[in-house]
Amino acid sequence: MSQQINFGIDLGTTNSLIARFQNGTVEIFKNPFGQKETLPSVVAFRKDRIIVGDKARELIEKDPENVFSSFKRKMGTSESFFVPNSSDFKTPVELSAIVLRELRNFIYTGEKPDAVVITIPASFDTIQSNATKKAGNDAGFREVQLLQEPIAASLAFANKQVNAASLQGQWLVYDLGGGTFDVALVKIVDGEMRVTDHEGDNYLGGVDFDIAIIEKLVVPHLQQQGAYPELLTELRSARGKYNTLYHILLKKAEEVKVQLSNSPSAEIEFEIDEQDIYLTITREQFESVIYDTIQYSVDLVKKILDRNHLSAADIMEVVMIGGSTYIPLVKQLVTAQLDIPVNCSVDPTTAVATGAAWYAGTRSVSAPESPEKRQHSGAPVNIHFKTAYQKNTADKEEYFTAIVTGPVTGLSYRIVRADGGYDSGIKPLQERISEMLLLAENTNNQFNILVFDAAHHEISADTPVISITQGKFNIHGQPLPNDICIEIDDLENNTTKLELIFEKNAILPLRKTIVKEVMKNILRTGQDSLLIHVVEGSRYAVPGSCVPLGMIEIKSTDLLTDLVKGSDVEITLQISESRDLSVKAVLLMNEQEFSEVFNPQVRQINIGKLKDDIRQLYQKAAAKMKSFKSRQQYELAAAVQQIQEDLNQVSSRIDTISDDDVTDEKYQLEEKKRKLAQQLDSTGKDQQILEITEQYFKRKEYCLQTIREQEDDSRIARFEKITADESSYLSSQSYYTIKAKIDELDDLGWEIRRNKPETWINAYYYYASVTTDDYTDPQKAARFKDAGEKALERKNYDELKVVVNQLYHLLPDTKEGDQLKGTGIG
Amino acid sequence: MDPLLTLHIRIINQVFELDKKTAAKPELSSLQRNIDRIKQHFEEAGYTILNPLGEAYRETRVDYEASITGEMSSEMEIVNVIKPVVYFTAGGQKSILQKGVVIAAAK
Repeated sequence: MSQQINFGIDLGTTNSLIARFQNGTVEIFKNPFGQKETLPSVVAFRKDRIIVGDKARELIEKDPENVFSSFKRKMGTSESFFVPNSSDFKTPVELSAIVLRELRNFIYTGEKPDAVVITIPASFDTIQSNATKKAGNDAGFREVQLLQEPIAASLAFANKQVNAASLQGQWLVYDLGGGTFDVALVKIVDGEMRVTDHEGDNYLGGVDFDIAIIEKLVVPHLQQQGAYPELLTELRSARGKYNTLYHILLKKAEEVKVQLSNSPSAEIEFEIDEQDIYLTITREQFESVIYDTIQYSVDLVKKILDRNHLSAADIMEVVMIGGSTYIPLVKQLVTAQLDIPVNCSVDPTTAVATGAAWYAGTRSVSAPESPEKRQHSGAPVNIHFKTAYQKNTADKEEYFTAIVTGPVTGLSYRIVRADGGYDSGIKPLQERISEMLLLAENTNNQFNILVFDAAHHEISADTPVISITQGKFNIHGQPLPNDICIEIDDLENNTTKLELIFEKNAILPLRKTIVKEVMKNILRTGQDSLLIHVVEGSRYAVPGSCVPLGMIEIKSTDLLTDLVKGSDVEITLQISESRDLSVKAVLLMNEQEFSEVFNPQVRQINIGKLKDDIRQLYQKAAAKMKSFKSRQQYELAAAVQQIQEDLNQVSSRIDTISDDDVTDEKYQLEEKKRKLAQQLDSTGKDQQILEITEQYFKRKEYCLQTIREQEDDSRIARFEKITADESSYLSSQSYYTIKAKIDELDDLGWEIRRNKPETWINAYYYYASVTTDDYTDPQKAARFKDAGEKALERKNYDELKVVVNQLYHLLPDTKEGDQLKGTGIG
Repeated sequence: MDPLLTLHIRIINQVFELDKKTAAKPELSSLQRNIDRIKQHFEEAGYTILNPLGEAYRETRVDYEASITGEMSSEMEIVNVIKPVVYFTAGGQKSILQKGVVIAAAK
């Protein structure tokens, strides 16, 4: 069976692309560094490395002797370029081969094609064509088939049409790219597509339009605004006062040009002499400054038509390619002046590469490579790397060195970072290599070493992966010894609980912003307050047992407006390397800001909060005592009773302390309270964990059963996600962690049950069974019960749902104990 | 590119512009908190937004495209950032979503 070539390359003057045909579609490969489809056809020779593409383009203006672009124009000539940095000569063929090799790196699938279709301009003669072929061979493509660019573009268009034979008779391919313009007359002769004439200008393209925006619109505007002597010169000259601004304007002008293709106007904004300039450019203005250039391109098209004695009626359509054909004026002028319909149905940037791949998909590889030769190119090279580098670092770059043993002569290498942010360029492989590796911050950086043979084909070698962790194991930073949490309200259990902010072992400094809800109305005239309480201790512990680090109390009298329940408070916590804790709270409702820096050496004790903690602990102790007694666990009950007595003592001592007490007593009492909280927490904890674990398994089973009845794959996946780390959370010994999982499972089950009528029927029967007099408003409850009966009769379950909700809200609040003072946030 | 990612990139670029303006103008400092919050939301969603302003220019760093202004020098730095570098992490894999657009000049 013959093998198809499938790979097509647009080797452009300005940009190049590579594409592959597979299963009837074409994929354009992207640069692994930056994910762009286009690779600038630019090669830079630095002192110790070769750089290709975007990074090489950066250096064109500044190091023109060592950076080469537009060498395609010189293909097939005897011209060669001297490279001062390597004291060497490079031919256009060699430079093109470097670009082609770089494009091979775009193939992420691991394929190593040895045949390819490369496109050439219609103007290329035999020598130029052969030179392109040689560049392809030098780049490692054993077989190179050439295809004219206008034909490739036409194929891309033809294959896009529903009727593939839509391109009939003869047509024009108008190619206005970033830096060059070409137009070709194409027709089908003897069943074959052929370019019968062409015209072009090697120095006409999109960049000229960007410059026109600056020179003909921005500069005159600035000159009207103020005195900028010799502005244009100061912009364009490398030593000019505004040369930096010129580069900024070039980028901004390009953006404006793109925007104006879709909008009637675009804004350009920049700063000059510390003055902000906003300039709106309309499409009309833009068109007026580029009109002559586009008119010139249309004149070249007319020239072809005249030369071939053709009228508009003889041409089926004008196929538009090249990024600059996005500009509406281009289409308008071509249509209006030539009176020929324009075809813009494929992406003008990738059309040539797409067409090349389509063509490659129909062409067979003429002769497969001999197995011996293939073995030679793919055989691993016996070289070994002994590396030395720091695996953990606080620096943003790290020195890497390696001793390489084995036959390194003629080989080269390249080091690349897995996330695409670093590329060493191509460097000669020597017995000792070194490189300064740039690191992404606060993460593990993986680098791969690629090795190439003398012809720059990648070869298989036993290369190590370089792994450097930046920031996370910073030798200068210290890890947190405990979790840092804030205390929030747990209204369901009428208590407070901890929310993790910074995890134990996180490296200082740390910063985090969270948004919490205000859990109660706080009136300026009332006595309530909001507490932002930051503590240090296990996230699984009860809040009272943790070490308080800092607290901001926002009192009602501090408020600019009343604070409404449900509004948000944004809390930012920051811990410096020297362990200072900064807490900033912003009430988003009225934008009021409160902040404080806490020095951990100075413990902040709030007497009111201490009292509330004691009260909560006492309630908890009472509940535990009741539970132990009911299970006849008298030993545990006695321990709790002792804790209660101690709490009483602490409480009475607190009552004697004034708010402005200057002694150490409040600190001692806080310490005592913490110890009692720890004791209470651990008393009978095993039993509590056992109970919540039993409850967990029951609810898990119920949830799974509900999901299975529905045969819902997506919910099964969610169920599996919730329970994935079951062994970890069940062994956490944390009541709240297990409870949180139960809540997640209940929520998942409820999503299904709430859509089932029987859920609401059962709920209704429950509420109907409650004696009417037990509701807070018996008359209303009776009316709803009546409405419920009727809804049941009519099988109106939406109505029944409303009835159930109403009855629920008419039930008295059964929560035990005093109203929680808490923190007011949750 | 996924249209949603494209939209996010556009928003990130605008937030970045706002960030630059608030940093330069003390009278706009009240907006800083909201800007930081938007950036944080993007970071929570898997985006890493980098502003290389003031960092040394490196030709091996391929997550930005630089225009070099003035004379070349061995000691160059980033003097202006027109678009930030944006990485996106999905499925544990981090990759460049937007190359930064920067201006570099001699120190």
